[in-house]
Formats: sequence, structure tokens, C-alpha cells
Amino acid sequence: MALPSSESSSSVLRLTFLAVLVITLFLALFARLWFLQVLAGDRYVELADSNRLRTVVTEAPRGAILAADGEELVRNRPALAISADRQVLLDATGAPVNAEAERVIERLAELLEIDEEEVIERLGSQRRSPFRPVPVAVDVTPEVVFTVQEQRELFPGVVPETLPVRQYPQDTLAAHLVGYIGEVSQEELLDPAFADYRAGDLVGRMGLEQSYEADLRGTAGERVLVVNARGDVLDVQRDREPVQGNDLVTTLDLDLQQATEQLLEDGIIASRSIRRDDGQLLPSTAGSAVVLDARTGAVLAMASYPSFDPREFVGGVSRAYFESLIEEDSGDPLVNRVIAGTYPPGSVFKTATGAAMVEGGHITPRGQVECAPAFELGGNTFRNWNRGVNEGMMDLSDALMRSCDTYFYELAFDQWLAEENAEEPDEVVIDVAERFGFNQRTGIDLPGEIAGRVPGRQWREEYWLARRDSYCQQAEAATAGSRAEELFTDLCRFGGAWRGGDAVNTSIGQGDVIATPLQVAASYQAIANDGVLMRPHLGAEIRAPDGTLIRAIEPEEFGSLELSDQTLAVIREGLERTVMEARGTGESAFTGFPLDQIPVAGKTGTAELRPRVPFAWFAGYAPADDPEIVVAVNVEEGGGGSQTAAPIVRNIMAHHFGVVLADEAEFEAGDEILD
Amino acid sequence: MATNYGQDRELRQQRAQVQSRWMEVYAPIRHLDPVLVLTALGLTAIGLVAIYSAKLVALSAQGLPPTTYVSRQLLALAIGVLVMVVVAVVDYRVVRVYAPVLYVVSIVLLGLVLSPLGTAFGGAQRWIVLGGFQLQPSEMAKLAVLVVVAALIHESEGQPRAGVVLACLVLTLLPTGLVFLQPDLGTSMVFVWSTAVLFLLGGVQARYLVGLTLSGVIGVIVALQTELIQDYQLSRLTAFLGAGDASAAQTAAFQTRQSLIAVGSGQFAGKGLFEGTQTSLSYVPENHTDFIFTVIAEEFGFLGGSVVLALLLVLVWRGLRIAILAKDTFGTLVAGGIVAILTLQVFVNVGMTVGIMPVTGLPLPFISYGGTSLIVWFAMIGLLLNIHMRRF
Repeated sequence: MALPSSESSSSVLRLTFLAVLVITLFLALFARLWFLQVLAGDRYVELADSNRLRTVVTEAPRGAILAADGEELVRNRPALAISADRQVLLDATGAPVNAEAERVIERLAELLEIDEEEVIERLGSQRRSPFRPVPVAVDVTPEVVFTVQEQRELFPGVVPETLPVRQYPQDTLAAHLVGYIGEVSQEELLDPAFADYRAGDLVGRMGLEQSYEADLRGTAGERVLVVNARGDVLDVQRDREPVQGNDLVTTLDLDLQQATEQLLEDGIIASRSIRRDDGQLLPSTAGSAVVLDARTGAVLAMASYPSFDPREFVGGVSRAYFESLIEEDSGDPLVNRVIAGTYPPGSVFKTATGAAMVEGGHITPRGQVECAPAFELGGNTFRNWNRGVNEGMMDLSDALMRSCDTYFYELAFDQWLAEENAEEPDEVVIDVAERFGFNQRTGIDLPGEIAGRVPGRQWREEYWLARRDSYCQQAEAATAGSRAEELFTDLCRFGGAWRGGDAVNTSIGQGDVIATPLQVAASYQAIANDGVLMRPHLGAEIRAPDGTLIRAIEPEEFGSLELSDQTLAVIREGLERTVMEARGTGESAFTGFPLDQIPVAGKTGTAELRPRVPFAWFAGYAPADDPEIVVAVNVEEGGGGSQTAAPIVRNIMAHHFGVVLADEAEFEAGDEILD
Repeated sequence: MATNYGQDRELRQQRAQVQSRWMEVYAPIRHLDPVLVLTALGLTAIGLVAIYSAKLVALSAQGLPPTTYVSRQLLALAIGVLVMVVVAVVDYRVVRVYAPVLYVVSIVLLGLVLSPLGTAFGGAQRWIVLGGFQLQPSEMAKLAVLVVVAALIHESEGQPRAGVVLACLVLTLLPTGLVFLQPDLGTSMVFVWSTAVLFLLGGVQARYLVGLTLSGVIGVIVALQTELIQDYQLSRLTAFLGAGDASAAQTAAFQTRQSLIAVGSGQFAGKGLFEGTQTSLSYVPENHTDFIFTVIAEEFGFLGGSVVLALLLVLVWRGLRIAILAKDTFGTLVAGGIVAILTLQVFVNVGMTVGIMPVTGLPLPFISYGGTSLIVWFAMIGLLLNIHMRRF
């Protein structure tokens, strides 16, 4: 270099500084590249794929739900809809992307006669997939579709389409059974069980729509498109046509279902004008009825009152309607009381406890016990329902016919004593009740079934352990010497003990026994079916859309009563006499019914749930000599079983056997005081 | 000492022989830097492949031959090589003498760009159309400013006084302002940067450097406050930080995001030539010009990107070597300045595609599509060769 040496060294220094700076900058680039491409590369590969691949899903039409005779309960109908591409009209914040999009939304709102905000809200629904057009309006007129088609330039991103929509040809019939469908929720989408669901997919939410979801749903069509930055489709990477869901044929007898719903509702409403002994009208707040095939356990009809309108759920239920269904004084119309109503079964449980006493060896079927007015136990008086009359010696048949409580009290106490004295108590009531189908879910093909409860030592102990601290605290807090102190101190110390009183209460279906109407019906089905308990079911067949049989749902044995022929015969005799003998508790409700042609067997029940008005029960089967159907009815706060429930059962049977059809039937209350 | 004619003649002949051998040894042509030239050509070749790949699908879709851009770039390459040879042949000291002329011509052209004769494209007025060719004078101006400032500092013989510094500043800020008005923020930054590096290398006193840096910072703040920088420029600058006005920054954010996806999804070895989905499906805008690096990084991965960066580093290395070997201050300054401009453009351009620098329109030297840029870069290679050849 021509520079003087001092200058030269300074110049080299400055060049070295530049070199260091340059190399630093290059190193920064290398490091960043290494991070992006090698360390974080996988993530960007995914992003590149999601850029270039668009999946367009075509929903599969859902299968229909049919009655046993093939009549449609639920089907699909094509509905004209106006959908719009969210990505064209809205930005990430949910606002219109530009002035043009704003104008499109404005026009759309005007065309559909809704607010612009409403359009934006529906369009922006996070429950909808962004990769397919979002329905803005379903069930629009053909004119609206025409307008959009003819003026495409005014409606960029808006597409008219035909969507399959649930339709209910039978209106509200069997609402609890068919259920409804709704969009899959955000939480469900995170659940592995919903792995093949996408945002916006419909899923069965209740009833058969839910339990047969896998059959009804079908397989959505899927086209995977390769698109460029402008959204032009360049290639189809995968194309799968939608496969329509299969049809579900149920065991429901459409005509009987209609009749059962009508007769239950009529009966409940009519009973509300009955005045009780105390002068009050019966509340009869709600009720349910179920009819089973006596041989197969197939559900022929099932009704729960009050009910709801599944049509309101089509295309998304309105907030107002849904709130009206779940508000406090709505009467819980969404609950199917047949499977989810939990009641003390009262006297309809006596078939099970009666059989248990024989099985426990305390009496033979024909052995007699005095039907005293009351049973004394440890200072407590357990009265018979008939208020003070001694009805003399009774065998099991008489006890069922007269629903004699003291017969069961006495035997239950004997059994309890035997259990107390045994090293390992054999709780025969629980065992036998379970053979009748209690204390467990029947496994019917409906979601939301409740297991009920038959209490015993283990249950009592667990129940007590969970509450002992509370009992002890209340005992401490109570006034010294008061009744409350005595009670809570006792509970605190000995509440875990299964006492004679518990056993006595359980024997008449009171105390802590809980059962659903379906369990009660199933237990009478087992009696009617010579001791073989069939699993109640609604599904009969799965058929392809073209009608070919995919799968038959065979009746399934659920259990066996394992009673001697004589025991079963005596129970059946008792049930027949209940209806057909003048002294029978159910006789009054069947006045005028042609029992000589169609003998009926059954049992009344009046379940106490103080301070509420008793719950009315009746369960029975007919014809008694060769049972076809089993019917069970429960009316919440409907008073006596013979008074309110039995007449409804009678009307259902009358309709089924063609004696009096539902349309002409009148609700005629039975005697009040009979249990 | 007695001499005769014969001896004298013999001596003269010997001297002539030695001299011619010397001349042969020191003939400028014998001191070419083949590494420099081959590296530049190699980078240009890679650029041609990348341009072809970037526009293959898009051009086919428009019914144009896929070589549309490549052939134009090839023509520019031919011109560039010619320019390189011419620049290398003329002694660079002559270039120094004519630097003011080059400078004035550049300023006039920059002025023309802003006049109605200039051509606007995409919101910026950067070009002059000459007989079917688009000329981008701001690219030439880079070279002109570099040469004229280096000449001025050279004249002051290693001790630039305040007057010289001031003159350099004026000469730099004039084209900076003109380019800024186009608007082309990226290129106007190049002028400031190259002069700053020349001040550093040329021995401008530290207090001036500090003072200038401070006033530069204040200037930027004032520019931001007075909205001298247009909104779109500001939002582009801040978009990569995830800040700024949402709607205005969207384009830049989209570019950066798609660019990151392209680069990242290339992974270690790349997706293969013509297999880049981000590239072929046009997800990365301007991927034949400013975002050309995404094509290389997506299709050839970390390996390909590293090769390109390494080749650019080779140019830096040769340039710095030439700066050290140069026989005068002018040579050192020009070589160092070229290295500085190269580094800035590489860092800003690649940095932009990998999301560590804001989106500014600076081409990647030798690689990006753009005739003027390529020709000017070959002219700079010519200058480096020139300085290298005449280092004795």
C-alpha cells in the first residue's frame, strides 16, 4: 500500500473491524437458517401443507329412524340454504375484510331479511369449520336462491346450497326416544372419541340419535384440493364421496306410541281435577309410561310427560326455546322419565321382596302370615296402608292382591334377624331384586339411563361414612335434650348400621329404594315371561339406505328370576287377583274392561315421598294367561296407584287390544285409598 | 568504468529482457482473480435456476414461455460481463478521475426517474424505460456515490478534514433523498451505509463518526415524527416485529409469514428443484426478485441456502483481501465499500426472508431478477478486479 506505515496499520485495523462486522452478520444469517430449517422445519412443513391443501367436506345425509312398520319417525329433507365463505368475507377478527365484503353482507342481510350483525355472527361462528361455506340461512325460499344465482357478481363468496335437514314426519311423537342432533362442541372436538369429527359436524345429542350415532351418521365426503395463493384449485389430491348413514328400524309400534303418549297426557291432566281426602286437587305434575313386548323386552311404546318439540332443534335450537326447556318450573321436559325418573317403587316392588322372602326360606308361597293393622318394632309403629283393619291370615298371593304391608314387614324383619345372626349376612332382598333387574341399568339402547338402588348394609355404611361428620356436627349444634340432638347423636354413632326398620321399609319399596319405571316394567316382563328377564331395547334392525339389512339387533336375555314354578305361579296369581278379584287393589280401575276375554295381571303402588303427594304406580301385563304386553305407568304426585296410574294402564291396554281406542278413551279414576 | 558499445548493447538487451519479464510478471492481465469471477458467475447461475423455478408455474398459467424472465436475465448477464471487462481494463485511477462525471450522470438519471419520464410500478417510481429496457438508476447511483466519496477521501490523503466530510455528506444525501422520494427506503439506506463505511475506513476522526451517528439517529426519529416515512413503509418495517397498524401491516406480515413457511419447510435438504409448494403455488410474493432466497431455501434447504451464503462470503473474502492489497487509499476504499454494500444487501435481503429484518425492497446481489442490479454488480466485480490487477 502507498500509505505511510502508521496509516497502513490503522487502515488494516479498520478493515479488520469491517471484516468482523461482516462475518458476524453472515453468522447471524446461518444461525437463523439453521433454526428455521433444521430445528423448526417440521412445523413449517405442516404450515406449508395447510397452505396448499384444502379439505372440502360434504356432509353425509344422516340415516332415518323408523318405527317397526317402516313408518319414518325422523328422516332427512333437502333444505335450500344460503351459505357463505367466511374467509372471503371476514378477517381474522371477525369483521368484514373490506368495504366490498361489507356491501356483500349488507345485501345478504337485506335479501334474508335479517340484521347485518346477525349475518356476521352466524358467519363468524367458531363452531363452524372455516374451510367450507357456513350456512347463514337454512330453509330459504327458491326466490332467494335464484337471486343469489343470477347476481353472482353482487354476492362473491356466497353460495346457495341444499343441505340435508332433520325432519319429523310424526311431529313431536317419541321426542325423548329419537332425541335430537346438534353441532359437536369445542370440548368434544378435543376428546379422542370424537377424533373423526370436525367443527360444524352434527352429532346425536339424545335418544336414539345419540345411541345409534355410529350407524346413523354415515361417512362424510372429503375432497382434498391443491390450491395456489389466489385460491385457484390446481389439483384434486383425494376425492371420497359421502356415504349416507344407515337407517335404524326400531321396535316402536307407531300406533301404540301415539296412543300411549295421548293416554298418558290425558290421564295426567284429567287426574288434576280429582280432589283428595284432604280437599286438595291432585298435582299430577308429570309422568311416564312404557309398554314392553312381554316375550322379547322390545319397547313398543315409551312416553314421558311433559315433552318437547325436536323440530325446534333443527338447524340449531334457539336460546329462548332451550331455556324454556331447562328453567326451574319447566317440569324438565328434556328428561325421559322412563329411564331417568328415580322414584321409590312402593308396592310394585313387593313382587321382588315377596319372592325374596320365599327364597330366604322364611315362608312358603302358600304359607300364611297375619295381615295385622300395624307392625311394632323397637318403639316404632309400621302401619298397614288400610288404616287399622285386621285382614286376617294371608299367603303371598293374598298379600299381593291386598298389597298387605304388614305381611312383608314381618317377613322382612325375620330375614333381617337371620342376617344379623349370620356370620356373613346373605342379603337375599338385594340378590332377588337384582334378578328382577333392579339396582343396575337395564342396558336399554338409550343414553342417560339411571341405575336406581336397592339398599343394604354396604350401601348404608358407605352412605353413612360420607355423612358422618355432618351428623356429628349437627348433634353438637343441637339444643341439649332436644329430639334433634337424640336423632343426630344416634346417627353420628350408629348411622352406619342396617337396622330392622330399614329392612322393613325396603320390603314395601320405600325407604331408600329407588327404581326407574323401566326397571319396574322389566321386572314385570320377567314375571310375565316365565321368569326370563329380557333386556329392554328399541333398536331392531340397521338397514342400508337401499333397504338391505346390515345388522339385526336380536333380543337379548338380561337375567333370570330363578324362582320355583310354584313361587312364580303364586306371584302371578296374586297379580291376576289384584286386577280381577273384587278385593284386589287394582280392580276398580278395570271396571268395564273385558277381563273375561283379556285377563290382566298387575300391581298398584303408591309411593310415599313426604311431604309431597304420593307417586302413583301401576305395572302389569296382559293377557295374564299368555302375556303379550307389559305396561308400567308412573304419575308424579298422582295420588294412589289405583286412582291415577292404573286407569292409564287400563286405557293403554284397551287401545292395544282394540277394546277402546285412544281417541274415544276417557280417564276414569280408580278408588283413592287403595294402595 | 570502461564500456563499449557492444557491452552497452548487451546490457541494454539484458535490461530489456529483464524488464519485459518483469512487465510480463506484472502485466495486469496476469493478476486476474479467477476465484472472484467464478464465484460471481456461479451465484448468477444459481440465480437463473431460482428465477426459472420461481416463475415456472405462474408463467405457464399465463401462457407465457417459462424462460421469459430467465432470458432477460441472461441478456443482462451478457451485458454485465461486458461491463465488467471494460471496467477491469481501464485503470481504476482513471475511474477516480471521472468519478464526478459518473456521479453527475447518476444524479441526472435519478432526477429523470422522478420526472414524468420515469416509470412507476407497484406504487414506486424507480425506472426509466430506454428502448424496451427498464433502467433502474438507483442501482448505478450506488456505485457512483461509492466512487465519488472514495475519491474525495483519497484526495485528502488519509486525513479527511471537516470540509471533506461535509462534502461527502452532501454528495451522499442528495441521491439518498432522491431515491427516498421514489420511494425506495432500502436503496437509500445503502448510500448512507456505504459512505459511513468509507468514513470508517478512510480515517475520519472518531469524533466526527460519533457526531454523525448521533445526528443520524436524531434524523431518523425526526423522520418518524414528521411522517416523512410513509405509513406503508413504517408498517412494513414494524410488521416483522408483530407490531404496527394491523391492516396496513397485513401485506408485509403475509409476505414475511409465507416467506418463513417457505424457508422453514425446506428443512435440511430441501424439497427438490421445482418441488417447492410455496414457490410454485405463488404463496410467496415477489419470489423472483426480493424474495428469491425463499426459492433456494425451500427447494434446496439449509444446504442450498448455506451454499449461496458461503459463495457470497467468498466474494466478501476476496473483496477484503483486495482492499488490503490495494496500492492506494482509493483502491482500499472502493473495495471495502463494495464489500460493505454487498454485506448490507445480503443481510437485509436474506434477513427479511428469514424474519429477522423488516421487509424492504433490496435485491439479493447476483441472484435476484433485475437487469440493472446484475449489471452494476458485475461492474463492481470489474472494479475489484481492476484494483487487484493494479496493486503493484
